Amino acid sequence: MDSLPYYLQTVLNGVLAGCIYALFAMGLTLIYGVLNFVNFAHGELIMWGAYFLFLAISEPFALPLYAAIPVALVITALLGAAMDFAVFRPLRQANRLTLLIAAIGLSFFLRNAAQLFWGAEVQTYGFEIRQGYQWFGLYLTPQQLAIIVISVICIIGVYLLFFKSRMGKSMRALADNLDLARISGIHTERTILSAWVISSLLAGVGGILLALDTNLNPEMGVTNLIKAFAATLIGGVGNIWGALAGGIIIGLAENIAVLFISPGYKDAVAFVIMVLILLVRPYVVIGERRD
Amino acid sequence: MKKLVVIASVVSLLVWFSVAPVRAAEDIKIGAAFALSGSIAVYGEGFKKCVDLAVEEINAKGGIKGKKIEIVYEDNKSNPKDCVTAVRKLITVDKVPVIFGPAGSSNFMAAAPVAQESKVVMLSAQGTAEKLTQAGKYIFRIIPSNSKQGQRLAKMAFDMGYRKLPVMYINNDWGLDLKDGFVTSFKKMGGVVTDIIPFDEKKTDYRTELLRANRGNPKAIVNLTYINEGAVQFKQAYEMGVKTQWLCGSAARAPKMVELAGKAAEGIMGTYPSVVQDTKAYQAFKAAYKKKYGDDKIPIFGDYNYDLVYLTARAIEKGGYTAEGIRKAMPAASKGYKGVTGDKTFDKDRGMQKADIGIWIVKNGKIEDYKK
Repeated sequence: MDSLPYYLQTVLNGVLAGCIYALFAMGLTLIYGVLNFVNFAHGELIMWGAYFLFLAISEPFALPLYAAIPVALVITALLGAAMDFAVFRPLRQANRLTLLIAAIGLSFFLRNAAQLFWGAEVQTYGFEIRQGYQWFGLYLTPQQLAIIVISVICIIGVYLLFFKSRMGKSMRALADNLDLARISGIHTERTILSAWVISSLLAGVGGILLALDTNLNPEMGVTNLIKAFAATLIGGVGNIWGALAGGIIIGLAENIAVLFISPGYKDAVAFVIMVLILLVRPYVVIGERRD
Repeated sequence: MKKLVVIASVVSLLVWFSVAPVRAAEDIKIGAAFALSGSIAVYGEGFKKCVDLAVEEINAKGGIKGKKIEIVYEDNKSNPKDCVTAVRKLITVDKVPVIFGPAGSSNFMAAAPVAQESKVVMLSAQGTAEKLTQAGKYIFRIIPSNSKQGQRLAKMAFDMGYRKLPVMYINNDWGLDLKDGFVTSFKKMGGVVTDIIPFDEKKTDYRTELLRANRGNPKAIVNLTYINEGAVQFKQAYEMGVKTQWLCGSAARAPKMVELAGKAAEGIMGTYPSVVQDTKAYQAFKAAYKKKYGDDKIPIFGDYNYDLVYLTARAIEKGGYTAEGIRKAMPAASKGYKGVTGDKTFDKDRGMQKADIGIWIVKNGKIEDYKK
């Protein structure tokens, strides 16, 4: 009679993976919505976010976790803002291809910089490993619980910000039509800056959660970013709820698939879904139909 | 005036051309296409430390016939494509006649044909895939191959009383090869393999793979994994309450894995091409390592890389500093040569003639040799 917990645990694993993907995808989609390009350096924001926490909790700072996390997040947001200021702002009028290439370049730069500071070796925050709580035959560790709860909080936060605040309204206006937004008196640069800050915060939170649950290495961002990218495509680029749905769909699909097909094809599942959705519902991606 | 410039540049060019080869001949350059970035850079950094140590020692004793050894490191970025690029660069730009090849059997095997076609000797210190040296007679390895390890792992599992178990393996040449070796031998002994679960490298989430492997709570699970992947897996298995005897291969036998996985690594066992460590040579190596780097945790395969330098130096001394000379001198240079990792005599497939496979176990956070 191990089969019900067995499948439920798989679903739980899928939701966990999906939450991480969704956190990454929301940040990615936010920048896409406002600036209309895919920020391939988002994975490095994730990774640096995790490493900033590593820096803050280790010598010589040795901050306790509750103090270190806000510090790490603030620095990550600063890094995001700095990225925009140094690279993307001068390219504001450039075409999308230029922005894309610049983002890829930035991604390599930031990844190699992390390697220079911390080495390519895998690091760990060094918290003691604990067995998960057991509920009805399901295992869940405090870190995993945190992933789910914090993801939900982030999603609600982004929702409120996006749909209930003035800043969110400006962002949506900017996403709709940059020129029109500017003519209407929206402070575009300030709005773009806040989009970067929020996107970086989401990346930082996701990176820290991922690293708390697993380990840190300079490639941790880039390997998960590809899935996040697929999630944004599935959910519709520039759509916050879509990013969430896409993340969860991919997380669930690849984990459930592992039970039935050879896990060697785990990655393929995510991308087959992506391709199918692109074929069947292309308007989701192009964004022609808004319903 | 113009004429003068032309003459001057021609003369300087001529001088440069005549001087350049002489300068190149001063040092003995050896290429090393190591993983200095990317997913298995955790291995590459350790190899480099041990290679540097051996070079320093040889050079301090006067080098090879008075010439100093210089290692030209080239980052292979841990993937097959960039391994080919790195090896090609070492051959065409640095013009080295001998290369220490990339770690990771898939990576090494991608680059081996390049070295073979260019008639440059390439050696592996840690590639255990069966077909590793198949590319041709310029390709050597100084570590025993997988089939011997797979057999030993099967015997170990059988001797411990396990008859039914699932097998997880990392989906690359090394993992596939060792899995095949294990499954064939285990079935021959009468064991049953209940499930075969390949997994991808570099993932952060292996929970469902582990869940599937642990279905029916098997007493033991074979997991042919690497350092990072293993660390994540054992940690996640521990959190999920998986209680089983993990049986691993050589690639997980690393202090770093135990450091990362913490108490989740306790009790894990595995096989590895063993090195008798209580020899004088090994202790001297360990002491030298400690003196240079301050700790005596020898990186995984570091001892093999150390031997690789000495063996290559012997071959260069015997055969001269040309690819052809090194290749021809290699068997004779290796014959009966005892490095820190034991007898390095090559067999006819340019692999190791002798293979001691040992068993390791994690005990109190340390990797030890298993004794019954």
